[in-house]
Amino acid sequence: MIEAFQSLWPFTTRFLEVSTILLLAAMGELLTQRSGVINVGIEGLMLFGAATSFLTAQTFDAFAGFLAGTVVGAVFGLFHSILSVSLKVNQIVSGMGVWLFAMGFVTYWADRYTGPLRVSIPKIAGLTPAVFVALVILVALWFVLNRTHFGLKTRAVGENPAAAEVSGVNVVRIRYICTTVGAALCGFSGSVLLLSYLGAWSHLPTKGLGWLAFGLVMFSLWRPGILLAGSLAFGFVWQFAISPHTIFPGFPAPLPVNRMLPFLMTIVVLTIISTESFRKRWALMKPEALGQPYIKE
Amino acid sequence: MLSLRVPKIKLERIVIISQWRAIRISVYSIASAFLIFSLVLFYEGADPLQAFQNMFSFAFDPKLGLSLTIHRAIFIMFCTMAFIVPLRAGLWNIGMEGQFYMGTIGAFFIAYTFPNYQPEILIPLMIIGGSIAGAAYGAVTGVLRGRFNVNEVVVALMLNNIAFWIVYLLVVGGPWAGIAESSSRPLPNSAHAPYIFNIPFTFFLAIAIAVLLFFFLRMTVTGYKIRVLGHSETVARISGINQVTLFAFAMTVGGAIAGMAGYHMWAADPAFLMIPRPDAYKAIGDLTYWGIIIGLVCLLNPIPTIPASLFISSIITGSTVLVRRMRLPFGLDFLFLGIISITFAAFQFFYNYRLRVMRR
Repeated sequence: MIEAFQSLWPFTTRFLEVSTILLLAAMGELLTQRSGVINVGIEGLMLFGAATSFLTAQTFDAFAGFLAGTVVGAVFGLFHSILSVSLKVNQIVSGMGVWLFAMGFVTYWADRYTGPLRVSIPKIAGLTPAVFVALVILVALWFVLNRTHFGLKTRAVGENPAAAEVSGVNVVRIRYICTTVGAALCGFSGSVLLLSYLGAWSHLPTKGLGWLAFGLVMFSLWRPGILLAGSLAFGFVWQFAISPHTIFPGFPAPLPVNRMLPFLMTIVVLTIISTESFRKRWALMKPEALGQPYIKE
Repeated sequence: MLSLRVPKIKLERIVIISQWRAIRISVYSIASAFLIFSLVLFYEGADPLQAFQNMFSFAFDPKLGLSLTIHRAIFIMFCTMAFIVPLRAGLWNIGMEGQFYMGTIGAFFIAYTFPNYQPEILIPLMIIGGSIAGAAYGAVTGVLRGRFNVNEVVVALMLNNIAFWIVYLLVVGGPWAGIAESSSRPLPNSAHAPYIFNIPFTFFLAIAIAVLLFFFLRMTVTGYKIRVLGHSETVARISGINQVTLFAFAMTVGGAIAGMAGYHMWAADPAFLMIPRPDAYKAIGDLTYWGIIIGLVCLLNPIPTIPASLFISSIITGSTVLVRRMRLPFGLDFLFLGIISITFAAFQFFYNYRLRVMRR
């Protein structure tokens, strides 16, 4: 039993890393969406985080890499909030703009340094420290959203900004804070992806993980607890798709079929949770004002 | 009324935007993208004016880049129209990429299955096969959105990734694998598409569809219903418009057009006539997102997409010169496209507001 466990441990650490990446990005998006702003540029933010952390880690050390990735994520979160909160640009257009810009900029900036990472990341029993950081952030996120004054204000802004404004909440400030912090988490998730999971830069390394995290937020019914379960499940499926042989030697399906699994799973799960009966049974916490710019009359 | 902290400038909200204003805004946003990119070129040690001159002279030179420019322009035109129709009904069709892959599969399936048919029969069949495959793929998103209220952006993105792996499954070592590693086997001779006036015949198909869509959206009852649904779901529900079928219909039409892009891209150009390596068809798949930007620039009107996609495609074709001929770093062409998209997103502001300087 213990031997079987030991042989599975490398696989387990890998899939926990994918789960951490998904969890971090999805937590960022959850916070953003709870304040009523939708950010479809997660994939782009993760690319920025990954590229910045990669290049910083090459020159300085791993810690500086994580820090730089997070900061760059926050900068682009601030950009998105300027566009979508202050300038009231369509939030999907703004997020798409960030994503497409990230694809171009990162290709130009980091592709010429394509190659493995020169620094090593400290690991705890084979696990990246980011796993524990993510769990701490998860608890903090739950606590802030459900038990603090700030969380109450955030939820109010996401549900009905006009009513929140009347009761004395600064809608614009709350949305700015949530979008920027959320984007910083996405940037951090990108740096975890590159520094501890991949360990090398290649052309556009995210490969749809950011969009998976975006789907995961809807899957979670906008609750941090379900988000953890969802990211564990999706991380497992993602890693299983890449190396099924570590668990099932002689797994029949070819690689492309495996790689479809996480995406197929998202569609099925989303369809189930979007049905009328499911929504009534498990009160869906979708923010009422999601994606609508707040226009003060 | 909103006012900024600086007392002299005032924001005025615009309710209906005129076409003239839209054209002006897109010219400004393109101009500022060029300005920002010149700074990058300057930083890289190149002369911006010379670079732009090189770009466009390559893109419009009949001996060099013109055929490539036109080819990409048709592709982007199909993608733009695939984006426009669903957004008129209020749906964001981000799934052009997946519908394009499925269109490729549909068209190539027909060609590989009936290689002995006459070209006059086979080529229309391929186009129909491509558009049916794309339409079916788009319909999945539309039905899920209409029937179960599933977010269409997420579903479309997931379907894009699935479609990518389906093509991979067929081409890399699959039933369609060719002699060269990881690209498909070439199309049969009877599927070679004709050229009219030295341009692919799909050009005329794309223009015909643009004109048809223009009249369809403006003159028909279904087009009217689609526009009502896009403006307000509540109004549509109250006036008895069936949301489920209309969402499904709009996405199906979008998917069918994106499927034709799949036929056009690999089968209407003698340079390809097969599905290339995964990274090459993924790179073309990424171009489908230009449909979103152009569609929004053209205010969801199909007619202006014709010049707009020609312009964007000349930039796409021309900017490759920067890397190949002027020996600037790799990825500069991608960066230019990124800059255009982000300046466009920022300039969206002027669709909603007008800055007015107040006199004291």
